Amino acid sequence: MNQNLKKINIYSIYLGAFILILPIIAFFINAFSFRWFYPQLIPKELSMQAWVRLKLIPRQGNRTLEGFLDLWATNPTVIKALINSLTIGFVVTIVSIIIALPAARVLGLFNFKFKKLIIFLMVSPTILPPIAFVLGLNINFISLGFSGSFFGVCLVHLVPIMPYVVLTLTGIFANYNPDFEYQARTLGANKFKTFYLITLPAIAPGMVVAALFAFLVSWSQYLLTFLIGAGKIMTLPLLVFSTASSGNPALTAAISIIFIFPAILILFFTSKFVSGESSATSGFGKI
Amino acid sequence: MNKIKIFICYLIVLTFAKFSFAEVAPGFNSWDDVLGKAKGGEVNVYMWGGSDAINGFVDDFYGVPLKNDYGITLNRVPLKGTVDAVNQVLSEKEAGVTGDGGNIDLIWINGENFWTLKQANLLYGPFAAGLPNSEFVAWDNPAVNLDFGRPVDGMESPWSSAQFHFMYDSARSNYDDMPRSYAELSDWISANPGRFTYIRPGKGGFVGTRFVKQIFFELSGGQAQWVGPFNQGLYDQWAPKVWELLNSWEKDLWRGGETYPKDNAEMHSLFANGEVDLDFTQSPRGAGPTNTAGTTPPTSRAFAFYENMIGDFNYWAIPYNAPNKAAALVYANLVLEPELQAAQVQPANGFCCGWGISTAKVTDAAGQAAIADAQNNLGDAAEDQNILAKALVSDIAAEYQDLIEADWEANVLLK
Repeated sequence: MNQNLKKINIYSIYLGAFILILPIIAFFINAFSFRWFYPQLIPKELSMQAWVRLKLIPRQGNRTLEGFLDLWATNPTVIKALINSLTIGFVVTIVSIIIALPAARVLGLFNFKFKKLIIFLMVSPTILPPIAFVLGLNINFISLGFSGSFFGVCLVHLVPIMPYVVLTLTGIFANYNPDFEYQARTLGANKFKTFYLITLPAIAPGMVVAALFAFLVSWSQYLLTFLIGAGKIMTLPLLVFSTASSGNPALTAAISIIFIFPAILILFFTSKFVSGESSATSGFGKI
Repeated sequence: MNKIKIFICYLIVLTFAKFSFAEVAPGFNSWDDVLGKAKGGEVNVYMWGGSDAINGFVDDFYGVPLKNDYGITLNRVPLKGTVDAVNQVLSEKEAGVTGDGGNIDLIWINGENFWTLKQANLLYGPFAAGLPNSEFVAWDNPAVNLDFGRPVDGMESPWSSAQFHFMYDSARSNYDDMPRSYAELSDWISANPGRFTYIRPGKGGFVGTRFVKQIFFELSGGQAQWVGPFNQGLYDQWAPKVWELLNSWEKDLWRGGETYPKDNAEMHSLFANGEVDLDFTQSPRGAGPTNTAGTTPPTSRAFAFYENMIGDFNYWAIPYNAPNKAAALVYANLVLEPELQAAQVQPANGFCCGWGISTAKVTDAAGQAAIADAQNNLGDAAEDQNILAKALVSDIAAEYQDLIEADWEANVLLK
């Protein structure tokens, strides 16, 4: 009986995974197909044309190492956007954690007046749709001279990211015992050593999850990047949206693959921290 | 004697002053002045980015000569819709950004978006007549000097042109069986139930609005009376008849007229997947561009009605606070080069639009040869250019567009 239940559970996991992976398989078929119309069940014509149009793969007859290098040296928009997305994602992730760490420590370890209100204010960006605040923010950013700049885009990405990072880290600190730090201090460790040897290892899994949230939220911003970046800071979501309106499924699929691939890669490397056994996801403790 | 000398000097100074203040565009005394100030800078071009063929064309055919011949770096910014760029300029205005403190140097624009910016005094100019290549533009043609019935006044410079007509699949239908008027289309729809639909007039569906606008022309006996300022009485007289015709089609439309494609990309997809048998195109090359891109079957061809096929021009405009006005002028001039105009019509280059210049005004041999070559290469996916030219009518005042979109929803979609 128990054995059967286990079997069913395993099958349902496979089914779940299959449902998740199926659309990604469709991306790959689409991205290498040409004129894939009804009633063809599978595409009759396979083609690299989408990748050629994105300037990632050279035209036929030019596909040597030199051809690739020459093409990429022209700095195709996709590569520019990929680099921008990655850079913004990393910068924003690091900055958000640096800002959130002290806040989360206080929220997780101490009780004080208006704590609930402060937490509510901190998560409010997740309730408010971006369009509600970004149009007003845009005018402020323009007059401050942040519009169209890398700095401005990073700054505005922090708005939707901070709630996730603060909440995740607060959960960690809620289950954290600062007495270990006092012990280390009594044994002669200085402040830096205490942080490095005691605090950091204890909160590391939570930081990885917070960083993952931060990066993925930044990675998928369209509206904020577009408005504050004034179109000058080209990121992958901007390209995905403008390509999707072209009605060319192969092209849209190809650019979507480029869009989801780094996110999947990062998720893969951090997956052990996100699974149920990790202390990072063991709930929000006593906040 | 002395007084006379002074007077003559005064005259000479005046003459020179007049010469040196004869600007080619506000802030620039001569074209050399423009070229000098543009050198070494960049130009931020904001344009609808939904066509990778157009994107690629701009990068390859403008980006390279701008860099090599003028020392200008092209920064093309793809938009989901031109209105995004308009909103950006409006925001900058509200934030008090003036001079050359803006972000946008050029916007690919026409119609309502142009009028919004022009009316709010948010455009730089007049500059169009000062461009050296302006000599090739047919400024005396109302289709060029009026944009959706609104005077251009040199505040935008043309790039290319488009004309509404249709596509069919030669593997499924015959050219000779195609309808040539709305009256014939009505018969075609009842003979082929479920095989036709049109783009929902509305946001993003201006091609559908155009399709409906042309019905007004046919039912009222021609486009001529619609030219000029907006006329509510004329509209009210014909609108009920148009809604009546469209409602009479409904039961024989794709999915019983319950839903309509929202833009031309969706329409192409329905056509390519065999759900409907007719499609719309705006390209003078007919089915050529979509056949090349693989979004329609390779056997797709074009046909036009014999009358009332709306054509229009699209333009480049420069915002009042453009950071690189000189480079923007160089770009607006470059796109009118006869050889580059021929390149955009040349099917192999993948661009989908037509001439922005009047080819008859080109006199040098190289330009003429390039033009002739492009015209000879239009291919069999295009409709006979004489039929298109005979059916060509200009678009009308922009007020009609908003009215038709709102009334279509009330009287056809929600009826």
